[in-house]
Amino acid sequence: MLPPSIPTSFVPRSAGVARRRFDFDLTSSLGFLAYILLAVVFALAIGVFSYESILTNNKNVKQATLDKATAAIDSATVKNFVRLRNRLDAGYSLIENHVAFSNFFALFETLIPVTVRFTSLHLALNDTKAVRLDGSGVAKSFNALAVASAAFAADGRIKDAIFPNIVVSSKDGSVSFALTAMLDPKLIAFSPTASAAPVSKLPQESASTTPTL
Amino acid sequence: MISSRILPIFALLVAAGIFFIYVSPTWSGPVTEIKSAIDAKEKALAAADAYKKQQNALIADRNTIDPEDLTRIAAFLPDSVDNVGLILDLNALAARSGLSLSNIDVTTNSVVTPTSRSTAGALPSKNTNMTSSIDLSLSAVGTYSALQTFLSGVEKSARILDVRDIQVKGSDTGVYTFQMKIRLFWLR
Repeated sequence: MLPPSIPTSFVPRSAGVARRRFDFDLTSSLGFLAYILLAVVFALAIGVFSYESILTNNKNVKQATLDKATAAIDSATVKNFVRLRNRLDAGYSLIENHVAFSNFFALFETLIPVTVRFTSLHLALNDTKAVRLDGSGVAKSFNALAVASAAFAADGRIKDAIFPNIVVSSKDGSVSFALTAMLDPKLIAFSPTASAAPVSKLPQESASTTPTL
Repeated sequence: MISSRILPIFALLVAAGIFFIYVSPTWSGPVTEIKSAIDAKEKALAAADAYKKQQNALIADRNTIDPEDLTRIAAFLPDSVDNVGLILDLNALAARSGLSLSNIDVTTNSVVTPTSRSTAGALPSKNTNMTSSIDLSLSAVGTYSALQTFLSGVEKSARILDVRDIQVKGSDTGVYTFQMKIRLFWLR
């Protein structure tokens, strides 16, 4: 005996009804999604439009602030500052390279013995700050010239001193000569407290306070 | 039944149309451009603010410099060549030193070219060489000590002057002939 709750017969449901319900649900779902998508895109469009408006407004506000800040810049003040900076920079560079030939003359008069006399002297500074010395003169004797040459060599600031064209006079024994040399750039470097005292004291025949030219 | 299928398709098409015709181009076009413009303006505003602070700091620094020193700096490297005024000063210095100037001339025009190019309207860069120079040649007659005094005066001149060349020709009388080239500078 079967229990009474179990049906005694089986009546199958129509398969077409079940399939129709499934088709209807899919279409509705897709349709619903399409509407949702439209709503989202619409909202997005409104959002983009609003964001663009806000950004444009923000840009205009910033432009106005920038215009105000730009107008507050005084070009004359800027120009003055730039000019002052250039003047200070250029002045610093010029004072660094400033030359003082008086240092050379102060040294020269201590190195040259009175028995050596220059008839001409030429100092030329080139753009690399090298100074060429050319001169010609007459020494009382060959020894006097030798003392001058030794003085240049010992001091070291009048470099590569060469005495060409040495001619000894048969009349009085005097010696005429020429001189070419290069000066140490430090010798002609300007300093408000520059001292041109010789590096070393040398034995001389006699030093003059003013060179005989 | 048909409308229930057509309307969602139409909604989908409208959504796609709105997205591809308005949303996407607006976002990648004008919105991006405005955002970058705002960024640029913010940077410019920051620069303007930094400029204002720097200007105030520079004004404060400049106010600490003695105005007399500023005048001396302007005289040290003047704004113009003014070689005529300089010749008058040199003549006065020579007279005080005991030298007699006989001839003064402008020998070379050695305008210093800028070391870096700047675009039109732009502020000059720091490395730009802003000085120009010319050489004055002068002849003088006087004693050796007068030359020393004159040279010392030139070297310590309020306006920077570089002696580039000196020629001394001796004589038996103790009066010498001097020829010099003096370079003078000015701010361009």
